[in-house]
Amino acid sequence: MASILGPSLSIVTSYAFRNETTLVAHSPVWISCARPGNRNHFQLKSSNGLPLNALSSNDGLAASSLAMADSKSQSLEGSFPLSDSELTGPNLTITVVGASGDLAKKKIFPALFALYYEDWLPENFLVFGFARTKMTNDELRIMISKTLTCRIDKRENCEDKMDKFLKRCFYHYGQYNSEEHFSELDSKLREKEGGKLSNRLYYLSIPPNIFVDVVRCASLKASSKDGWTRVIVEKPFGRDSESSSELTKCLKQYLTEDQIFRIDHYLGKELVENLSVLRFSNLVFEPLWSRNYIRNVQIIFSEDFGTEGRGGYFDNYGIIRDIMQNHLLQILALFAMETPVSLAAEDIRNEKVKVLRSMRPLQLENVVVGQYKGHSKGGKSYPGYTDDPTVPKGSLTPTFAAAALFIDNARWDGVPFLMKAGKALHTKRAEIRVQFRHVPGNLYKRNFGTDLDKATNELVLRVQPDEAIYLKINNKVPGLGMRLDRSDLNLLFRSRYPREIPDAYERLLLDAIEGERRLFIRSDELDAAWALFTPLLKEIENKKIAPELYPYGSRGPVGAHYLAARHNVRWGDLGNEDS
Amino acid sequence: MATLYSTQCPSFFAYSPSSSSFSSSNLALLQRVNFSRRFLASKASLKSQPLSSQAPVNTQQHHGAVAAAVTPIENGTSHKQLKAELLSVMSPEESQGEADFEKDENESTVSITVVGASGDLAKKKIFPALFALYYEDCLPKHFTIYGYARSKMTDAELRNMVSKTLTCRIDKRENCSEKMDQFLKRCFYHSGQYDSQENFAGLDKKLKEHEGGRTSNRLFYLSIPPNIFIDAVKCASLSASSGNGWTRVIVEKPFGRDSESSAALTKSLKQYLTEDQIFRIDHYLGKELVENLSVLRFSNLIFEPLWSRQYIRNVQLIFSEDFGTEGRGGYFDHYGIIRDIMQNHLLQILALFAMETPVSLDAEDIRNEKVKVLRSMRPLQLQNMVIGQYKSHTRGGVTYPAYVDDKTVPDGSLTPTFAAAALFIDNARWDGVPFLMKAGKALHNKRAEIRVQFRHVPGNLYNRNIGTDLDRATNELVIRVQPDEAIYLKINNKVPGLGMKLDRSNLNLHYAARYSKEIPDAYERLLLDAIEGERRLFIRSDELDAAWSLFTPVLKELEEKRIIPEYYPYGSRGPVGAHYLAAKYNVRWGDLGTDIDQ
Repeated sequence: MASILGPSLSIVTSYAFRNETTLVAHSPVWISCARPGNRNHFQLKSSNGLPLNALSSNDGLAASSLAMADSKSQSLEGSFPLSDSELTGPNLTITVVGASGDLAKKKIFPALFALYYEDWLPENFLVFGFARTKMTNDELRIMISKTLTCRIDKRENCEDKMDKFLKRCFYHYGQYNSEEHFSELDSKLREKEGGKLSNRLYYLSIPPNIFVDVVRCASLKASSKDGWTRVIVEKPFGRDSESSSELTKCLKQYLTEDQIFRIDHYLGKELVENLSVLRFSNLVFEPLWSRNYIRNVQIIFSEDFGTEGRGGYFDNYGIIRDIMQNHLLQILALFAMETPVSLAAEDIRNEKVKVLRSMRPLQLENVVVGQYKGHSKGGKSYPGYTDDPTVPKGSLTPTFAAAALFIDNARWDGVPFLMKAGKALHTKRAEIRVQFRHVPGNLYKRNFGTDLDKATNELVLRVQPDEAIYLKINNKVPGLGMRLDRSDLNLLFRSRYPREIPDAYERLLLDAIEGERRLFIRSDELDAAWALFTPLLKEIENKKIAPELYPYGSRGPVGAHYLAARHNVRWGDLGNEDS
Repeated sequence: MATLYSTQCPSFFAYSPSSSSFSSSNLALLQRVNFSRRFLASKASLKSQPLSSQAPVNTQQHHGAVAAAVTPIENGTSHKQLKAELLSVMSPEESQGEADFEKDENESTVSITVVGASGDLAKKKIFPALFALYYEDCLPKHFTIYGYARSKMTDAELRNMVSKTLTCRIDKRENCSEKMDQFLKRCFYHSGQYDSQENFAGLDKKLKEHEGGRTSNRLFYLSIPPNIFIDAVKCASLSASSGNGWTRVIVEKPFGRDSESSAALTKSLKQYLTEDQIFRIDHYLGKELVENLSVLRFSNLIFEPLWSRQYIRNVQLIFSEDFGTEGRGGYFDHYGIIRDIMQNHLLQILALFAMETPVSLDAEDIRNEKVKVLRSMRPLQLQNMVIGQYKSHTRGGVTYPAYVDDKTVPDGSLTPTFAAAALFIDNARWDGVPFLMKAGKALHNKRAEIRVQFRHVPGNLYNRNIGTDLDRATNELVIRVQPDEAIYLKINNKVPGLGMKLDRSNLNLHYAARYSKEIPDAYERLLLDAIEGERRLFIRSDELDAAWSLFTPVLKELEEKRIIPEYYPYGSRGPVGAHYLAAKYNVRWGDLGTDIDQ
């Protein structure tokens, strides 16, 4: 961690060395070294004439392009908690634009605190809140402190740490489109940075219509002079291909591609991260990962609540834009992509773009839309979507959608990828289900009876709640007869890994700080994703397709079943089995 | 899928082929009929009253047709609905046939004679298994159990002896003692010499009395030392065969000491019995997870593509006991661990594991495939074998005796109590894949398991996360036969957290957690199969020949060269040689790792 003043050669070498032995080492420091983000360091090192080991080959495009963009700052990034307090690293200032908003309070500040608690943040970091509300630093701190929590297994010193964290939090009030206010922010920042090398991260937690204003002001007036400046943007990234590319175009007036970090918090979920590990580090899965063995793939998202008075934003977008076009499609791309050259961000994103571009744009006939209606159950009545006062009367915005997608490449030709997303359904869950084909010439056919579909294998990755991976296999029921049933080979994360699983935002913030772009969406990815959905979205809106109404708390519209049946699929989440 | 835990035993007797009266082509058909019945659990449970056993052939075939017509039936279908379906496909004539069955039911009986009834196996395994079958309604309505041995004993004495070892399963305590009494009333004893036709004729007379003119099927379980097999078979066959039903003989290992003695034994048996009267039992084949092996392989799409040299690096068959001969070394010393465990139990499991997909699940089809795979194997060579013998060891003040300290073991015995071997199957599927076997007594734990180690991931993107020991990062499928049945698949997984750290976790199925029912003892299954004429789990003569021809040369060589076993302390992990043997084939024993093995 001498690194602040420029990493010395010897330190770097030791990283490279440690990195090879990751599995063996257990301290957080080593873990941090294992992060792909740190690969950038190796890249730089090897160019310094250190022996190129196997590691460097993985760096590929990403690192080199990065190296161009901000090689200096990269090398100086104090991303690991090297805690020699004498030596100080570069400053890192994280400005949360829209600090008084809900997301900031519920997710961003707590995630930052968790990173701080676990020593992931550089020695010298500052957190700035920026919003239109008038507030003092203390008021901000009080507001934040209400939502900070410590993980159950980390109660120790929690109060203490919180206080320390809050002391690093400041507030600056300003208009989002005022360059003047941003230059005030800049001078405050500079004051705190005290003339040292500084990196700046902006988190835009604001409505999309002011994205560009903020980016303009921040970029022109409050960029770091000597370190990097990065901007994290949250969805929505436009409403369709045109508005999205317009937004991208505007952003690019002020930012380069590698300064833009489009966040999709689903990509930060533990099991989504694990998807690539499962696929690429286990021999037993890769041979199965194609149309030869996989019958269909289901990507399912459901919430058990409606808009509950926050329908204003939602009504303008609808479930397809809100969940499918981004979260579910991203998961699909990760699931279906070809093996990347390396785990470097650019290699992975290249493969994702390829698979997205191999997909057929969605057609209306392969989509079912629904909207929840009021429902009374057990004396309690639940409101319909249009009962929400923030939703325009007679709104046709879908709160549920199911879609069948197809990838026209050699690996996936003919395999339906079904997506389902909905609000106000009977459960809250997110999962990926892979249904395998029938066993050809199954010797045990007669044991299964008429319903062969129930006898196929299924791999389930449950993203939430209660992370788990399980594989349904056919098994003989112990006993003297020959009866088969489906049992699960399972891995329940909670019982295997008692440690709390970090929130997706923690991972993504840390990745942005470290410049690891793997889990962020590149512009061309975004274009490809929109290209799939835009024609459909336009058609739904132009034709004013009425959604199928389903009762609040139900399993969603029946149409989803017909859609699945048309492609010979049975939804895996509606069986009566435990799962 | 609904599972019928309460399902009664799926056996009933309408289709039991009488081996003495059917031609072999009939037999094949009947086996298929038999098979479908056995595998239609829900149908079986509908027949709470067993049908008659001795029906004319054509009626049986009718029934076969019925069974075929109702298949496939979903396991979860209710009995009532099933019965309706079943009846609806029956013509009136057939229904009439069924009625005839009900009437005939009194006409058939099974007599099970345990020859060597006072022996240990009989007491500990056979009688309890018979009782369990009775308790679960798997035995036909009319059955008689006879103990036969040289000791003088009365029926009451036998009952007293048997009753001491009977237990009820934990989940079946109800009426247990009542059931025991009923069972014991059906047990009788006949004292006689094993080589006396006269004594067997006496048994025959008594059996006939109990059979009371019904069609009688007779099952002899030979729980006696191998040197008197032939005598007992001769006498039983000549003097106590069933006149009008089938007669079957269950024989336990050892089946000879080598190819020649085994062939001689088979030849002698065949003087008195036909092939399908001989039921060579290998109780490992009756173990739940061994039975499940075929189900896993053939009813799951995800396993079959992996089942070849392309993906499997090696297969390990491991058997260990945590005790020595403990004063019973007499028999063991004559055979040794290779004959006692490897040549039969482990080799049988290997054959089931490695065989090609059979045409059907019929006994003959499966056994054909097993013979094929055994015949594709290279006979074992001395250089691929490590033998060991345990020596005494003192730990925590307790001294454990060496093998040769056992009074029943001759001084200076070189008999191996441990052996490890590498076998190879020279066929397209398995060429070059080492199959490692390890069996030993007086080791540090008691277990039996199959481990399948998969190859490395080619071009693994995560190599750097795995560190230097790539072997630890391969997938492994473990089928644990005992104790504590389980199946688990070791996979690489990301450790939750902000870093990218991988470890191996298990996708697992723990039987005790998933299936609350007690798992039946292997002997129950095998006895029931023998009664039903299901030969799938018994060893055919040509299988036995093939198995012996793999081991005979090396056994001879070991004995002729008087190869000294490597000594290992009682309670240890066995001789180091086993590791070198494995290392020679680039294998690491999976049971000695430090990782979690739930």
